[in-house]
Amino acid sequence: MMSNIVFLPIFIPLFFGALLVFFNKKQKITVNLSFLVVLLSFGVSIYLSYHVFSNGPLILETGGWKAPYGIILVADKLSVIMILAVNVIAFTAAIFAISSVTEKMVEHYFYPLFFLLIAGVSGAFLTGDLFNLFVFFEVLLMASYGLIIIGGSKHQFRESVKYILLNLFSSILFVTTVAFLYSVTGTVNMAQLGERVAQVEQQGILTGIGILLFIVFATKGALFPLYFWLPKSYIVPSPIVSALFGALLTKVGVYSMLRVFTLIFSHKLELTHTFFIWVATITMIIGVIGALSTSNVKLIIAYNIMPAIGFMLLGIGTFSEESLAGTIYYLIHDMAIKAALFFIAGLLVWHAGTSNLKKMGGYIKTAPIMGWMFFIASLILAGIPPFSGFIGKYLLLRGAMDEGHYVAAGIGLLSSLLILFSVIRIFIGAFWGELKEEPKQPVRTSGLAASAVLIAISILLGVGAEWFYPYVQAAADSLIDPQIYIDYVLKE
Amino acid sequence: MLHIYILLPFLAALLIGLAAKKVDRIHTGWFVLPVPAVLFILFISKLPILAEGKIVQSIANWIPSLDIQLSFYLDGLSMLFSLLITGIGSLVVLYSIFYLSKKEQLVHFYVYLLLFMGSMLGVVLSDNVFVLYTFWEFTSISSFLLIGFWFYRERSTYGAQKSMLVTVFGGLAMLGALILLSITAETNSIREMIANRSDIMESDLFIPILLLLLIGAFTKSAQFPFHSWLPDAMEAPTPVSAYLHSATMVKAGIYLVARFSLIFSGTDVFFIIVSGVGLITLCLGSILASRQTDLKGILAYSTISQLGMIMTMLGFGTGIATLAAIFHIFNHATFKGSLFMIAGIVDHETGTRDIRRLGGLYTFMPISATLAFFGAFSMAGIPLPIFNGFLSKEMFFDSSLKLEQTSGFAGTFAEWIPLLAVIGSIFTFVYSMYLVFGTFTGKAKLDQLEKKPHEAPIGMLISPIILIGFVVLIGLLPNLINESILAPAVVSVTGDYAQIHLKFWHGLNGPLYMSLIVVAIGTILALTLKRWQPIYNRVPGKFSTDRIYQSIVNGLLSFSSKFTKFYMTGSLRLYTSIILVFLVLATSIFIYVTDGFKIAFDDLAPVTWPEVLVGFVMAVAAIATIWMTQRIAAIIVIGVVGYGLSLLFVFFRAPDLALTQLIVETITVALFLLCFAHLPKLKKSDKKPSEKLVDFVIAASTGALLTIVAISAHSSKFFESISKYFVDNSYKLGGGDNIVNVILVDFRGLDTLFEIAVLGLAALGIYAMIKYRDKGDMNP
Amino acid sequence: MEILMSILAGTLFAAGVYLILQKQLLKIVLGTALLSHGAHLFILTMGKLNRGKPPILIEGVKNYTDPLPQALILTSIVISFGVTSFLLVLAYRTYQSNKTDMMDQLRGTDDE
Repeated sequence: MMSNIVFLPIFIPLFFGALLVFFNKKQKITVNLSFLVVLLSFGVSIYLSYHVFSNGPLILETGGWKAPYGIILVADKLSVIMILAVNVIAFTAAIFAISSVTEKMVEHYFYPLFFLLIAGVSGAFLTGDLFNLFVFFEVLLMASYGLIIIGGSKHQFRESVKYILLNLFSSILFVTTVAFLYSVTGTVNMAQLGERVAQVEQQGILTGIGILLFIVFATKGALFPLYFWLPKSYIVPSPIVSALFGALLTKVGVYSMLRVFTLIFSHKLELTHTFFIWVATITMIIGVIGALSTSNVKLIIAYNIMPAIGFMLLGIGTFSEESLAGTIYYLIHDMAIKAALFFIAGLLVWHAGTSNLKKMGGYIKTAPIMGWMFFIASLILAGIPPFSGFIGKYLLLRGAMDEGHYVAAGIGLLSSLLILFSVIRIFIGAFWGELKEEPKQPVRTSGLAASAVLIAISILLGVGAEWFYPYVQAAADSLIDPQIYIDYVLKE
Repeated sequence: MLHIYILLPFLAALLIGLAAKKVDRIHTGWFVLPVPAVLFILFISKLPILAEGKIVQSIANWIPSLDIQLSFYLDGLSMLFSLLITGIGSLVVLYSIFYLSKKEQLVHFYVYLLLFMGSMLGVVLSDNVFVLYTFWEFTSISSFLLIGFWFYRERSTYGAQKSMLVTVFGGLAMLGALILLSITAETNSIREMIANRSDIMESDLFIPILLLLLIGAFTKSAQFPFHSWLPDAMEAPTPVSAYLHSATMVKAGIYLVARFSLIFSGTDVFFIIVSGVGLITLCLGSILASRQTDLKGILAYSTISQLGMIMTMLGFGTGIATLAAIFHIFNHATFKGSLFMIAGIVDHETGTRDIRRLGGLYTFMPISATLAFFGAFSMAGIPLPIFNGFLSKEMFFDSSLKLEQTSGFAGTFAEWIPLLAVIGSIFTFVYSMYLVFGTFTGKAKLDQLEKKPHEAPIGMLISPIILIGFVVLIGLLPNLINESILAPAVVSVTGDYAQIHLKFWHGLNGPLYMSLIVVAIGTILALTLKRWQPIYNRVPGKFSTDRIYQSIVNGLLSFSSKFTKFYMTGSLRLYTSIILVFLVLATSIFIYVTDGFKIAFDDLAPVTWPEVLVGFVMAVAAIATIWMTQRIAAIIVIGVVGYGLSLLFVFFRAPDLALTQLIVETITVALFLLCFAHLPKLKKSDKKPSEKLVDFVIAASTGALLTIVAISAHSSKFFESISKYFVDNSYKLGGGDNIVNVILVDFRGLDTLFEIAVLGLAALGIYAMIKYRDKGDMNP
Repeated sequence: MEILMSILAGTLFAAGVYLILQKQLLKIVLGTALLSHGAHLFILTMGKLNRGKPPILIEGVKNYTDPLPQALILTSIVISFGVTSFLLVLAYRTYQSNKTDMMDQLRGTDDE
């Protein structure tokens, strides 16, 4: 059965994650095994993507129950792109982990939590069932709760309380909203939801329910004004955890919006999606203001998550083939570059012994490779061509201008400048200038290697856009016409 | 072919980056020099093709799906710039070999320089606007790196950051313009845009496009009010100032305006903005130049002013003005390039560029001094047939007298232009004299210098000698380059070819009188400079654009900090409140707008008293938790709600739920008890009544909103539930009587699997937290 | 009945929200428990209440209450149980390491 392969991206990390619980005292075995697992999973995801792009979407009816009655996993173009991206991040995280995950962290079940996080994220990208999406959200959140407190410092406890409470609230809201939606439509299968909401033209309370769902995803995705939990809680854990969070967690929120607001709630565009554009625009400004507000290197990177999410939502709000392709492209780009930046920021903070930019300086002499990698990463982040950020930004801005959203596009341009400013400040402050203090420890090689892989991918995504863009465009095309997805899932 | 030309510098950068450190006996510059030199010859060899009125082009695939193609073409305008980039490039590299010692980070320097060279060629050769934009941003980036070459100096990093912010700001504005252009003209090719120019001119977006594009051009070419980055860019090594910040990169904005002239030129808006900004820049730059004390500072303001002059002429858009602009681009590169190099020599040989400490250097460095006089006299426009600067300046005056705009505001503006042109030129004359006489004549102040000055090595003098050679040669024989280089460039800008013979003597006419006035008043002012220079100090500093830039940047940072700290207080209550208010407002507005509220009484279960009673008790208990101060009491009321819920589950025929809820509630209560023993007592809320009211309003409205949505959702059951399938097939296919169980373990087994995973994760987390307590901070 | 139950669930939500707006960590945790109860009651109400027998198949009975919401609630109850337990222990550890359980003293600054 070909379609069983769809379960593998979830099952492999789940299985090995559970297995590794019993190896928490044996760091060597765990690290080696984890490499095998990420490679295996990476291989599977490549094969899965190849299969889906050459033979069409795959659907796994779990337990053999057909949609809409059983839970189905759907590997369509968008999903496999996301799965592939997750596995790239997991792979680089495994490299980064070599020198950064201590014995203590292994003992604290870092690897089981890490793999369960990957399993949860992969599940969220693959499921075709709204309630099941909630369950996968809980898996990845619970894993993130476990990860954020590894280390056990008081800052971590303090920030994780806020992180958990706000996420808990949005989870409760999520499950309640699923129930509301079930009441109106009688189903929780996403394809059938799409079909039924379309049949009644999203009338009555449905738009209200859609907005509730938007708020749920926007809280996960850290949109204005729901992102308060994000910046500080992302900087307290170990850098590898910050990178995983920055690369994956908010993106699950964006993916869910992308899915739900193209497949299900796309019949009152002039209301809902116009609203999204406003939210996106404000998120960009507020996020970038946050990024300029602090001298804490990690916090600057964390705040930079928000303008990126704003860009992605702008694409969903604009809702054209071009802009949706832009959102997907930007999503992949942002996963890679955010992970890279969190990695490098972590390395820098270790190297400097402080996260305060004002106490740094001149490290280009002691850590030239890290410095130049950070510089290139900054350019990529700001969307300077010919790197990956530009392709997504170009599509999004063009899409927005094409539809007459000039203010949003203008803010997008301006925020690109400020994004660049916020990170180039780090480059100038930390790497240029006189060497103020001797570095506390050398730069960790495996950390540099992991960042280098991600930066190389980002460059490739930009320079070699022609190799990737057609797939992204194909994924976007299938979003703009939800009937394709619906027919595929609900075929008799 | 053109691809290879552009690629060559990048390849060389790569090679030098990898290999040059291996050979440290030979100055890296010698390996770099062949690159621009060969390219220069290659471009020269294309001149005959252009002379036939043809262009050279080549196209390669990059991102065909987005219509972003590597298509390049070489026409007259591109040729002029390409020759400057490679020609001045060769001379600057040669000069830098003697200027920069081997102790400097030469590999970095030349890699940046080559990156710039390749990018700049890309800018002037691209046909695809987004490829142009790509190279454009790369010139900003390489300029950033070159200004910050001495990265340990604070002034360098300040200048680097400033130049990057200003030019990238302009770049992004330009990107906006290019996207709009591309949408309006339905093409990404500049040539096709020009062909479709009627679409653009008729578009409502014409003015926004023009303005955005001009912001790009003005920032790059240091036009008012974006000029202030250029003086700070002088922190770069002098070869860079001569190359990027006077001869090439700063002319990218000029290039852009010239390139798009065929679309925008001829409109009043274009004329007023481009010429207006150009004139302001011309006057402001030349007036401020006489105030500077740093040689390079004088030259920086002079460059600003000269660029303003070129911009003004492009704004005129007439044939003669365009020719003058093109001619002056060339002339400016020659005399300004050589002056920068001389300034570098002075700095190199005396250890200072402060004009107050210099003077009388003529006796120590006669060759440099002579070259400087030629350069400065050409810049000042001294009416002698050996200065090319005079020729183009005279054409500037000439064109300012022959403007076509006669009506409206544009007409009024046009009348004032000759006057402004003269004022700007007077000050140009003044600072040119101030520069050379201040440095080379008068009394030498040797005691104020770090080393005893002497003539520069011949290697350093070659480049400025060649440039001054051009100043004189073109001054004498301007038509040498007219047919081959200038005329094709004019065609690219205006679209038609105007045969104008360049000559020194036009007879006693308007322009000549203007030149004579400039020389006369200029001489008086230059002689009395010391007496009126203090006037500058009367102008409050806060009006300078540098201050404005600083206050924008600092203001932005401090505003960001204040604003973010204002709401990012770390207060959970504030965060939750904002989220809830947003939730309530957004959702209720949408429900109101879409008329979503609905209440139907036809399909309801009958109200029965036991449920109502239990429900009432639960509600009371839930509300009562708010006032609980006793821990035990709090647990009891929470327990009442939980157990009440399981009772409701019994009433509503959900036996499995009731059972599970009972068990879970019991464990939870036990956990609460366990934890409460370790946590401090509940305190009475010490909140102010107003805070309590806010809490109450938020809580009540959230509850009310969800109730409304629930009632509406229940009242709008549009479809039959899929549950029927479970009822029908639970036994037949699932093999169980208990439908809920069959759903959990079979139909929706995946949920259950991962629900167990969540429990497992929670257990793992709890275990880790408890096991490793008291070990404190374990971050690596 | 469904309307009354919706109001009850809304009341539980409101009380829960009020509690999570308080300063003391303990009250906030209590609030989340109330929120979960409210959510579960909402889910149950969204099926049709009291129409037919409990969803356990008996010969000859055609009408059963909607089993799907019940299954969803079961999953949700177990998950919230996990999260609440975790949160309780976290609350305890936070109090222990930060020496306070008042949220307004758990703000933190940029410079850590």
